[in-house]
Amino acid sequence: MSLVLDSIKISLGTVQLFKPLSLTAPPGSIVTLMGPSGCGKSTLLASICGMLDPGFSFSGTIALNGRPLNGIEMEHRKVGILFQDDLLFPHLDVFGNMAFGLPARMSRRQKRERVNNSLAAAGLEGFGARDIATLSGGQKSRVSLLRALLAEPEAILLDEPFSKLDENLRGSIKQFVFDQIGLMNIPALMVTHDRSDSADGTYIELK
Amino acid sequence: MAEALFKIAVSAMSGRRNRLKIFPALTLAVFLLPILVGLLFTWAPAFGYLSAAGSNRFSLEPFATLLHHPSLPGALRSTFISGIGASLMSLGLALWIAATLYGSRLWSTIELSLAPLLSLPHAAFAIGFSFLIAPSGWLIRSVSPFPSGFTYPPDWTTNGDPWAISLTLTMLFKETPFLLLMIFSGLSRLDVRRTIWVGRSLGYHRLRIWTRLIIPQLYPMLRLPLLAVLAYSLSVVDLAYIIGPSLPPTLAVLIDRWFHDPDISSRFVGAAGALLLLLVTLACISSALVLEYLISKIASRKILDGRRKSPFELLVGSGSFYALILLGVNVLSLTALMLWSVAHSWRFPHFFPARFSFSNWSTALSHLLEPVFVSALAAFLSCLLAIILVVGCFENEQNLARSRIDSISQRSLWIIYLPLLIPQISFLFGIQVLLIIFNLEGSWGTLIWIHLVFVLPYVFLTLANTYRSYDQRYSYVGTALGARPLRSFFRVKLIMLTKPILFSMAVGFGVSIAQYLPTLYVGAGRFATITTETVSLASGSDRRVMAVYALSQFLLALTGFLTAIVLPAIMFRNRRAMQN
Repeated sequence: MSLVLDSIKISLGTVQLFKPLSLTAPPGSIVTLMGPSGCGKSTLLASICGMLDPGFSFSGTIALNGRPLNGIEMEHRKVGILFQDDLLFPHLDVFGNMAFGLPARMSRRQKRERVNNSLAAAGLEGFGARDIATLSGGQKSRVSLLRALLAEPEAILLDEPFSKLDENLRGSIKQFVFDQIGLMNIPALMVTHDRSDSADGTYIELK
Repeated sequence: MAEALFKIAVSAMSGRRNRLKIFPALTLAVFLLPILVGLLFTWAPAFGYLSAAGSNRFSLEPFATLLHHPSLPGALRSTFISGIGASLMSLGLALWIAATLYGSRLWSTIELSLAPLLSLPHAAFAIGFSFLIAPSGWLIRSVSPFPSGFTYPPDWTTNGDPWAISLTLTMLFKETPFLLLMIFSGLSRLDVRRTIWVGRSLGYHRLRIWTRLIIPQLYPMLRLPLLAVLAYSLSVVDLAYIIGPSLPPTLAVLIDRWFHDPDISSRFVGAAGALLLLLVTLACISSALVLEYLISKIASRKILDGRRKSPFELLVGSGSFYALILLGVNVLSLTALMLWSVAHSWRFPHFFPARFSFSNWSTALSHLLEPVFVSALAAFLSCLLAIILVVGCFENEQNLARSRIDSISQRSLWIIYLPLLIPQISFLFGIQVLLIIFNLEGSWGTLIWIHLVFVLPYVFLTLANTYRSYDQRYSYVGTALGARPLRSFFRVKLIMLTKPILFSMAVGFGVSIAQYLPTLYVGAGRFATITTETVSLASGSDRRVMAVYALSQFLLALTGFLTAIVLPAIMFRNRRAMQN
C-alpha cells in the first residue's frame, strides 16, 4: 500500500527537467523532494495528478496501492493536493469548503457531523460558519488540509506547503500536517526548496 | 532616510489634490447629464408636451395610439426574441466555450483572435453575415447548383425573417466575443488552473468545477457586461435595419421611424414608444437580476450535495465545435465582404466572382472621404477628451489614497455602465429636442459630446486595472530626483503607461466609429459618418457598394488598434522592459 514512481522522466521539447526519478512512499510517511525553484518540482506533482500541461512529454509509471495511475482521469486518481496558497473557495464558508470534499452518499446531517468532528479534532471547534476571509493564515492552512483529507484520498501531494507561513507558525502547522497524514496512514510526497521542511531530515534531491 | 524622502515626495505630489477634484465631477456631468436630461425631454412628449409642435397639454393619447398600433405586438415579439434570445444564448455559449476549452490550444487561439473580432464593427459584421445567409448568399452558393439544384436563389426569407432569427444570430455571434473578453479578464483575477486542480483532486468533473467553483466567483464580474449586452440587444437600431424583420420591425426601429416621420404628430407616439422600450429594458434587467438570485439560491443548496459527475459530460466535445463556428462565421463574413468589395460580376450560383475589379473602390473613394474624415475626427476627439477625463479621475482617486488596486466598487461600476444600460433611443430624442431649443443642433461640439458619453465607459473600463496597478513609487522617485510633480507625471507615469492608454483609446475609437443613432439624432443630418452611410446603404441592393462601405468601417476601427500596437513598439523599440 504505497505510492510508487518508476523512472519518471518529464521533458519540455528536448529539455529534460530532471534525472529519471524512482521512489516509493510507504503509507503514513512523508517523502521529501528537494530542489531549487524552476527545477520541475511542481511539474512532477502535476504529472502525478494528471494535470500536466500539453507541451510536456512524460514517461515512466506511477502506481498507487498497486493500481497504475497513468492515463487515469485526475478525478479518479484519489490523489489529494495541498499548495502553499490555501486555495479555499471564497464563495463558501469553512463548513462548505470542507463538505465539498465529502462523498455524495452521506446525508446532510452526516456531513455536518463529520466536518464538526474534524474541526474539533484540529482545534477549530465552532469554525464551520466562518467566512474564509476572516481566518488567519494558520487557520486557512489547517482547513485546507482537512478539506483534502476529508475526501479520503489514497495519497497526498504537498507543494511547498509551508513556504508562505510566518516563521512562528511553521513548526506547529508542520506538526499538524504530519500528524494528520500519519493518522490517515496514507503515503505523502512533499516538494520544497527548504530542507528544514523535511519530517525526519531525509530528502531526495531532484536535479 | 528613505522614508523621509518618500514622505517629501508624497507631500509634493499631493499638492495637486485640490485641482484634481474637478475631474470626477466633470466626468459625471459630461456623461450623466445628457442621459438624465435626455430622458426627461423624451418623456415630456410622451405625455403630450412638445413645444416645437405647439402642444403643451397633458395627454395620454400617445400611449393610447401606441398600444393600439397594429405593429406593436409583432414589434414586441421580435424585440423580446432577439433581445432576450441573443443575450441568453451568448452568455451560455461564452460560458460553455470557457468551461469546455479552458487551457486548450483552441482557447489560446480564441484569446488571440478576440481583438480583431471585436474591432469588426456590428454593422460591418451584419452586412457580411447577411452575405452569408441570404438566399443568394455564400452558404447556399456553396451547395448550388449541386446538390441543391438551385440555379436561381430560392424564395426564402433568411435575411430579416419575421421571427428575427437572423437578427438574433447576428447579435449572438457579435456579443459572444465581447462576453468572452469579459470572461478572460475575469478569469485572470482567479486562480483557475489550480482551482480546477483542487476540484479534480477532490473527484469532481471539470463541468461541475465550473458550475460550483468558478462560475460563482466569475459571475459577479460578468453581471454588468451581460446586462449591457441585454440592454443593447433589446434596443439596437442599426443592426435591426440591416438584418432585422421589417413588417413589423423591432420596437426600437419602429420608434426610430416614428421620430423620423414627416408627420410631426408621430413624435408623440415615438416618445411613448421610447418610454415603453425603457420600461421593457428595465423590466428585463430586473428579471435578469431576480433570475440570478433564484439560480444562486438553488445552486447554493445543491453545491454541497457531493455529486461529482455531470450529466453533460458527453457534450464536452461540442465546445470546440461551437468555438470553430463562432470563429468561422466571423472569418467567412469578413471574407465575403472582401470578395464582394472587389467583385465585378458575381452571379448566382457562382461560388467565386467571375471577374474582379477595383472599380468599386475607386468609384466610392470620392464619396468615402468625407464620412471617413468625419468619423475619424469625431472618434479621435471624443477619445482624447475621454482619456483626459478618465486619467484625471484616476489621479484624483490616487491622491485621495482611496484607490485599492484591482477593485472598483460595485456602486461606481453601475454609474459607469449606466449609458450602456439605457436604450439609446430612449433618451436621444430628448437630447435632440433640447438641442433644437438652444439652437445647438448639428454642431461639432455636441457631436463629440454625445460620442463621449458612450466612449467614456469603455475607456474607463479598459484602462482601470492597469492604471490603478501602476507602481506609484516610480513617480515618487521622479519627484525625489527633482522633477516637479506635473513633470514627473508626464515624463514618467504617462510614458510608462503609453501602451495601456493607447489601447483603451483604440477601444474608445472603435466604439465611436460604430455609433449610429447618436450621430443621427444630434447631428441634424449635417454629419455623415462612415457608419450612418453604411447603414443607409444597407437597405439598397448593390452588394459591392455595401461591401466597400462596411470594409471601410472595419478598416477605420482597425487603424485605431494597429496604431495602439505599432506606436508603442516604435517608441520603445530600444527598451526591452516596455515591450510586454
